[in-house]
Amino acid sequence: MPRYELALILKAMQRPETAAALKRTVEALMERGAVVRKLENLGERALPYKISKHSERHRRGWYFLIDLEAPPSIVSAMTEHLGRDIDVVRQGFVKHPLARPEECPGMIPVNYEDKLSGRKK
Amino acid sequence: MAARAVSGQGYWRRLVPAALWARPRRLQHEGQPQAQPEHPDQPIQMENPYKEPPKRCILCEINVDYKNVQLLSQFVSPYTGCIYGRHITGLCHKKQREVTKAIKRAQVLGFMPVVLKNPQFLTDPKICNIKYPE
Repeated sequence: MPRYELALILKAMQRPETAAALKRTVEALMERGAVVRKLENLGERALPYKISKHSERHRRGWYFLIDLEAPPSIVSAMTEHLGRDIDVVRQGFVKHPLARPEECPGMIPVNYEDKLSGRKK
Repeated sequence: MAARAVSGQGYWRRLVPAALWARPRRLQHEGQPQAQPEHPDQPIQMENPYKEPPKRCILCEINVDYKNVQLLSQFVSPYTGCIYGRHITGLCHKKQREVTKAIKRAQVLGFMPVVLKNPQFLTDPKICNIKYPE
């Protein structure tokens, strides 16, 4: 079951360098005991705002999404590792948003009078 | 009806017949246990059958993700990029919180701009009930 999702933004580089950077990242992940489930490429697009990283101002980047199953200790270690990598513009570990069946009860009208005069903390 | 023998309590008691001093019908069964059968005309206790189902907000049953920036941009101002409040979006508590969290996450991770709305999504259909000055 996917546990984490790594949203990765790499520098806008040529194909072989991007591939090398990705390979490096995935190998580092597997070294720390993660199981990579899926690697999605969201394409090369313009960043929503200019990002300055490693003394460079970036305007475009490669967006990748990595589904992985990993022990929780990997998060801080990988964040540190990716922070040191000069090809990585931004990274973010997120708990995988599993598509769960939504049970929305609807908008139940709230009695504001009770809330106001009810609990006095 | 003979008047009851009275020991000088009241002038009127002597004159008025005893039957009239009987307990009024209304209070007669007060002390006794309620053993009366249910009248068929009495209302039956039940849940309100005309109760309307609770209103659904527009994002009910829809998964909100930080990756679909187009959906999240519909709840953001095109001029300043600030997130609309619940009185404008009309979402329920749960969904409003989910949308806000997803927007902040997308902004931090570099998926969504912060101080403006992505120009690609400016012509999207309007969901929020906000009126812009002409």
